[in-house]
Amino acid sequence: MKLRAKLGYFAAGITVLVAMLVPFLLMGQFAKGFASLGLHVDEMYSGGPKVRSIQTGAYFIDIHRPVFPHMLQTEKPFVQLDWKPVSALPAHVSDAVDVDGDGQPDLRVSFDVPKDAKAPLRVNVEALNPHYQSMQNVGKEKYSRLIVRVDDAIVVRVPLTHP
Amino acid sequence: MPTKVEMLKLAETPPRTIGRSLLLTLPIALWSLLMFANPQRHPNRSMQIAGMITAVFMIALFFMMMRTRSTYRWRRWFFVALGILFPVGFIHTVIAMRGTMGLPIEEMIAGRTPFCYMPIPLLILPAAFTKSLVFPGSISGMAGMAGLWLAVTLVVGKGWCSYACFFGGIEEGMASVSPRAKVRKIDPRWRYGPWAVLLAMVLLSLALFEPAYCMWLCPFKAVSEYVAARNTVGMVQNGIFIVLFAGLVIALPLLTKKRTQCAFFCPFGAFQSIFNKTSVFDVKIDRARCSPCVLCKTACPTMSLTDESIAKGETLMSCMKCGACVDACPKNAVVWHIKGTEIANKPERARLMFLYAAWAMAVMFGGSIITEGLGTILHVFV
Repeated sequence: MKLRAKLGYFAAGITVLVAMLVPFLLMGQFAKGFASLGLHVDEMYSGGPKVRSIQTGAYFIDIHRPVFPHMLQTEKPFVQLDWKPVSALPAHVSDAVDVDGDGQPDLRVSFDVPKDAKAPLRVNVEALNPHYQSMQNVGKEKYSRLIVRVDDAIVVRVPLTHP
Repeated sequence: MPTKVEMLKLAETPPRTIGRSLLLTLPIALWSLLMFANPQRHPNRSMQIAGMITAVFMIALFFMMMRTRSTYRWRRWFFVALGILFPVGFIHTVIAMRGTMGLPIEEMIAGRTPFCYMPIPLLILPAAFTKSLVFPGSISGMAGMAGLWLAVTLVVGKGWCSYACFFGGIEEGMASVSPRAKVRKIDPRWRYGPWAVLLAMVLLSLALFEPAYCMWLCPFKAVSEYVAARNTVGMVQNGIFIVLFAGLVIALPLLTKKRTQCAFFCPFGAFQSIFNKTSVFDVKIDRARCSPCVLCKTACPTMSLTDESIAKGETLMSCMKCGACVDACPKNAVVWHIKGTEIANKPERARLMFLYAAWAMAVMFGGSIITEGLGTILHVFV
């Protein structure tokens, strides 16, 4: 038998062996390898990392790092604010939020908190800083302009006027 | 009732004895029982029964492959079952979780979008440039699917499309309904379709930073989950999914007896073709035995054989190792092959080695999906 043929059968044998190892070893190892690449979910979906948290009475407002679109992404740049826990929120929220941490409020955000977790949410945002856009009666129009309930938080995304 | 071609083949290669077939099936039987017979793997009685039925089903099909020496018609039973039962289990799961097949924006922000393998080629360039994965899922979910895909791909190359893909079975089933193709002449240039869609979707995904195929073109959104239509754009997207599904997965396979979505459209299939180059198994044509009658070319569900490729004694790189051409050849000239070996040298050995590897993957991955779908149905009765 030629060397090439021997190598071929050897490789085929290894392939069958690999197949046997897939569920017990390989799949997990490959998944770990993938996870260790340091990749992250695009911030347009995840909202970017949290940078600060403000306590307002019994609840917190988490402020995320502003998110900017890549390439031709059709969304506007935005900043994400999370009100949580939902159980600690009053029936109507109206907060002045210092987003950039300069001691001055940048936005006034108002929304109702319905008891029904599946009820649609609407938000009004008054921009107190020209860096942010005001929003009137907005639901979940776009990734960069919305209010939604995600688990135990109410997430508001406010578009920025200037990148 | 065997066909004329099957009669000719039977004359040349009689079936194996039952004892020898059972012996050859034994490793797969043990593997199937290992995968499904553990009651602790399944949360309830209906899933346990479904696991046992799946194990028996997969063992029986493998036994028939050994006994009859034919691959395609038995593999097709598995593949169609996978294609039908995947939506059953999946739709049941998403409806139980969120009450609708529509994927709301809250779930995407929460990173709870189930990740299938289709967007893998679309994520590579954005991840290479920005380390961002342009998919609203979880890192662990994506890592799990990517790990599984890589492992299975290492083993079977583009055989993924015949032994692991949980979408192709619907069109393979549709292609089997009619005894004869109503549309026989298909412009061979359609074969470049998947490459064109792949190129367009990769570039569009990079430019728009979104999984463009999932957002706009995936026909299987019609039987899995779709973006909840919040506006006109969402309605248009969902309309496209339904039209593509009805055309490429239902109507055209019925008319042509081809897997038209896979052959002319699927970008993941095109991407997967690259891995045929790394796989040790392929399908070859023994020129010394070939007439050529081109029955193999007619039988190929993805048009992966041409007159030129037959003359060269090989399939195109889009071959997904389903075995249709091997089974169709009355002269046994189309054979399973291990790279580096002589074509005519023990093709049955090559077939056995490939089938052990591919069927082990089919049992592990496809089998678990069949169990899930079957368990969902049984749950109504048990």
